[in-house]
Amino acid sequence: MEGFATAWSVLTTTPAAFAAVAGVAWGIVGGALPGISPSIAMALLLPFTYDMEPISAIVLLAATYVGAEYGGSIPAILIRTPGTNAAAATSIDGYEMHKQGRGGEALGISLVSGVTGGMIGLIFLVSFTEPLAKLALSFTFPAYFALGVLGLSVIASLSSGSVIKGLMAGVIGLMVATIGTDPLSGVGRFTFDNAELLGGVPFILVMVGVFAVSELMSQAGKPEWRKADDAQTRIKLPSFRNWRKLWKSQGIGSGIGIFEGVMPGAGGSIAAFMSYNEARRWSKEPELFGKGSPEGIAAPETANNAVACTALVPVLSFGIPGSNSTAILLGGLLIHGLHPGPLLFQQEPEFVYGLFGGLAVANVALFAIGMLMLTPAIWLVNRPKPYLMACILALVFSGIYSINHSMFDLYVVLASGLIGYLMRLFGFPFLPLVLGLVLGYLIEANYRRALELTGGDHRVFWESSISLGLLIAAAVFILASAVRDAQMARRKLRAATQAMEANAE
Amino acid sequence: MRFGFGKITLAAAVAAGFLASTNAPVAAQEYPHSTVTLVTHSSPGGGTDVFLREMVGFLGKAMGPTFIVENVKGGSGAKAMAKLASSPTDGSIFYGTTPTYINTSLLSKLDADYTSLEGVANVFMDPQTVFVRADSPFQSISDVVAASKANPDSVLFGVTTPGSLDRQVMEKFKKMTGVTSRVITHDGGGDLLISVLNGTVSAAIGELQELSPQIAAGEIRIITTYTAERLATLPDVPTAREQGIDMVVNKFRGIAGPRGVSDEIKAAWSTGIQKVLEDPDFKAWYSAQSLVPAFMPAAEYDQFLNDFAVDQKAFLIEYGIIK
Repeated sequence: MEGFATAWSVLTTTPAAFAAVAGVAWGIVGGALPGISPSIAMALLLPFTYDMEPISAIVLLAATYVGAEYGGSIPAILIRTPGTNAAAATSIDGYEMHKQGRGGEALGISLVSGVTGGMIGLIFLVSFTEPLAKLALSFTFPAYFALGVLGLSVIASLSSGSVIKGLMAGVIGLMVATIGTDPLSGVGRFTFDNAELLGGVPFILVMVGVFAVSELMSQAGKPEWRKADDAQTRIKLPSFRNWRKLWKSQGIGSGIGIFEGVMPGAGGSIAAFMSYNEARRWSKEPELFGKGSPEGIAAPETANNAVACTALVPVLSFGIPGSNSTAILLGGLLIHGLHPGPLLFQQEPEFVYGLFGGLAVANVALFAIGMLMLTPAIWLVNRPKPYLMACILALVFSGIYSINHSMFDLYVVLASGLIGYLMRLFGFPFLPLVLGLVLGYLIEANYRRALELTGGDHRVFWESSISLGLLIAAAVFILASAVRDAQMARRKLRAATQAMEANAE
Repeated sequence: MRFGFGKITLAAAVAAGFLASTNAPVAAQEYPHSTVTLVTHSSPGGGTDVFLREMVGFLGKAMGPTFIVENVKGGSGAKAMAKLASSPTDGSIFYGTTPTYINTSLLSKLDADYTSLEGVANVFMDPQTVFVRADSPFQSISDVVAASKANPDSVLFGVTTPGSLDRQVMEKFKKMTGVTSRVITHDGGGDLLISVLNGTVSAAIGELQELSPQIAAGEIRIITTYTAERLATLPDVPTAREQGIDMVVNKFRGIAGPRGVSDEIKAAWSTGIQKVLEDPDFKAWYSAQSLVPAFMPAAEYDQFLNDFAVDQKAFLIEYGIIK
């Protein structure tokens, strides 16, 4: 109850509520633009948050995430081009409904489901973050090392089919993470006596480059996306009777969204597709899926908005981001000197409860702004792509330069953009790079400090029960992915040999 | 290897003397600028930023001009030093000092480093303290020394970063008392606090400002302060000196300008800082923050900063952090 009072006083005395509304509006626009994922929409805003109050800055970023997860469904439904990866599942039934002239209804279902998923996710976030953070207080060096390893083990499951590429990208991230001051000896590593590098390569710059700049470069080589022919579409909210029919699929979406949001590495798109499949499995009318089923929109849209809230749980309690978007949010926290973990709740209760309050405002605002922003969002999606991309590039550069007035920062962004572009070209996944970069220091510093504690005795890693449990979890994760990959490869091989035999006959 | 802590103590004593005999020859003179910029490398809300922003209101009253605080972040102070080095020496722009800018100068090769700047006046010292978890058996640093001597592996010391002032203090403490327990470095004050709370390290060095929420919550205790006298806010906590460890550590907070500021300007600052330290409202604020007023005039402060840099460099070389 004390938390409610704190949240209320923060919302009434700071511009956080305004930031929540602005973030949702920007998120919807960014999410609606194909190519601008929630993480890119957040990365574009990040430089402008440097001089804000911490609470407003973080609410702005988190609200952008919320808005973008809904915004992505607009082009998914209207032009069959998902604005975000997580909206890809929505485009299956959403576009079918639009073809049947029920596009407004589809958008209404998406909006209501997004708000529902967000609210349920928020309740989970509020009730579970603090207990988890208290648990984090008993995390010692070996436990943090094991947590970092568990975070990295996600790489194995991500890039199915190209585990090698995932590992290569991860190693690049780990290598970049070694630049800066050595955590134990204090010696400068690869800093070339440059004071800008004493604190390491700021991973925000790398993320903006790898996500945003490389996306702009690759968009330049792609044809124009389709334009919405009917810009006059209006949102039609489902009636209570129709909404009740969606409860089951929304429940499935919320459950899966909550689970996937908390799990590192999963994120919105996996949650969306999983809940689409589950909603079909448990539906009374599974035959309608793929032919314009409202449930096929409700489930994934509930799931990806639930993820947008619950993905904050591991970030706030352990400082471990599970996805690109939350990695950027972590960057935003660090910029303002807010170190996630158990102390955050003791030292900055106004911030934590203000953030929860801001997210509640964002989810409510999503409902109103979702309807208001539809026409401008469609208008923007229908502008010529070159103009849009040029504007976004200008936004990136002016934003980055305004942080430190530093050309060095711009070069880092450009170089990361080039690396990101090459990675796209050769099919390397990004998340391993980001995880390596963000977790590399954590793993190295805690590994070495754990050994410092024991005078070089490695037994410390399995004598601590938390560390042992996490390391086993990481091993199970890697093994399961390896088994799955092997099965898939065998299935492919069998299919190929069968095809060859058929040809031979 | 020599340390300058004795000298720092001396400086503080001299400063106290200065405070007692407030001589103000240029108090009546007008300050030559209507606006004065104070640069800090700390981000909005950071320690130095808060200190400067709190002080400027009182400085304006005491000295006349309007003071504004500008945050020049980046490169741990390198950007701010570069800005100061290329600024006019006419008294329109100054820098809020902390040990960080000297450390950055020593750790990297810069075009503009701490030698491009000149001490104008010192304002405060942040007291460094030794703290333990509330349920720790240690009541004073003498207990820690005894336990460590009995079994060096039973005690672990915690400090923030490897090149920090508190690591230097801890290493010097080990040398003075002859204890050999290991020193564990961290990424910053927050991490160190967690290590103390979950029992990873037995005793650590920290600043009161950062620790106050946990002290108020009864989760940690201060067992010793590295100050010349007991702190007014912690009258029951003994100093290290009382326990036979003759070491006084002071993390300075003051004002520096581009090298070549005129004597008149320095004198104006001298008077101004002494005035704000006497202001009852400002006094209420800094006493609550456990900041110890430690005014030093320009010549003395500049010498103090140079001595500090020499000691810091010797420490960094001895522990292999720089060559």
